[in-house]
Amino acid sequence: MKKEITFRLNRKDYTIEVDPGARMIDVLRDQLNLRGTKEGCGVGECGACTVVIDGKAVTSCLVSAAQMDGRDIMTVEGLSETEIGSILQKCFIQYGAVQCGYCTPGMLMSAYALLLHNDNPTREEIRDAIAGNLCRCTGYVQILDSIEKARDEYLAKA
Amino acid sequence: MRYKDYYSPNSLKEAEQLLKELDGPVTLLAGGTDIMVYAREDDRYQDHHIINIYGLPELQGIELKDDCIRIGAGVTHSEIEQSPIIQKYATVLADGCRTVGSLQIRNHATLAGNICNASPAADSLAPLAVLDAKVEVLRDGEMVLMPLYDVIVKPYRTSLSDRDLVTAVIVRRLPEDEITCFYKLGRRKALAISRMTITYVAHKADDGTVDDFNITAGAIFPRPMTFPDINEKLLGKKPDETILEDVARALGNKIPEITGIRKSTAYKQPVCSNLAARILKEKLLEV
Ligand code: FES
Ligand code: FES
Repeated sequence: MKKEITFRLNRKDYTIEVDPGARMIDVLRDQLNLRGTKEGCGVGECGACTVVIDGKAVTSCLVSAAQMDGRDIMTVEGLSETEIGSILQKCFIQYGAVQCGYCTPGMLMSAYALLLHNDNPTREEIRDAIAGNLCRCTGYVQILDSIEKARDEYLAKA
Repeated sequence: MRYKDYYSPNSLKEAEQLLKELDGPVTLLAGGTDIMVYAREDDRYQDHHIINIYGLPELQGIELKDDCIRIGAGVTHSEIEQSPIIQKYATVLADGCRTVGSLQIRNHATLAGNICNASPAADSLAPLAVLDAKVEVLRDGEMVLMPLYDVIVKPYRTSLSDRDLVTAVIVRRLPEDEITCFYKLGRRKALAISRMTITYVAHKADDGTVDDFNITAGAIFPRPMTFPDINEKLLGKKPDETILEDVARALGNKIPEITGIRKSTAYKQPVCSNLAARILKEKLLEV
């Protein structure tokens, strides 16, 4: 079964036909060829598939394609065109937050959603915002540090 | 996900119409954070009509009434957690919702969906129980109000039929000076499946006696329940150590009484009593 849905993705408008019961992550990766969003567990536990929908971080492995209809979506591919996103990306690289990189897109999206609503989060708030994102490599410290640096840089600019 | 067909109605009326007209099993999809996981395990929805009710305007919003709060079935855990109304008049529910899943799940999953999934480990259920929650259900064109206890009958089982549509959850509105507590014992901060939670609400009159009290434990009992016989122990009295320990012991004793003696009882019963004693004393003995 196919259904037409319309949404905004990375600041562009889309109207596409989808299987409404497909998973959002599969629509992004397989149908739209946006492979930045990663699948780890497929059951909502690792956060690798995190995207931002209407300003909120959501695990795209648990969202049904029909629920993308009418929404404003941001994935890691769109981040570099946003101010917060590009600062985050730069800081992640500069301060060693990326090792194997598998968790990185999800981490970036969670951090992006946080800074979108709170431009001066505490370390504790940052910790809470990425509590649903697992990283097997870094031990999280570098990730927390990088997000703090990005926050400082973003604040200094604003 | 395999399914028979898939509908995304634009209004509650349309959803109601579909429920009436469709033949065969129906699955209502709200956030879908449980259903999407089940659909990976097997093809249990392959003969089902899926009705996606996420985002229906009629199911949104949190409303403060004179003696209660009405939470629309489409309201997410994050919205509850951040709602000034809930924070002020039903704090335990905000606290319970805050520990569900991860932020990404709370941003998408609804409270009503959690009730319909009826997982005993859902952290929102114990707070709902102490708030005397009722579930508003659209059944055969009529709104019926059911106590939460009658909706969740055992783990992962509700008394709802697949034609019942939950439209709202209604909880008590507590006085602003109500003392409330939600305590969770788990492994990891985010996503920990609850091992046990303890929740209570209490109110002290001007003379220091307790005139409102309700306590329960979560992730322990097969359905959300509260215990008038335990509450009696504290009602009308000034809390002191002996009474609070008695209340805590009585709560622990409910575990073998209700779930029978199991291997885990030797762990759970004393942990429940000790934790309950600690958190009761913490908030009720001061001053
Ligand atoms: S792949 Fe979605 S949370 Fe792990
Ligand atoms: S960098 Fe490898 S999982 Fe995080």
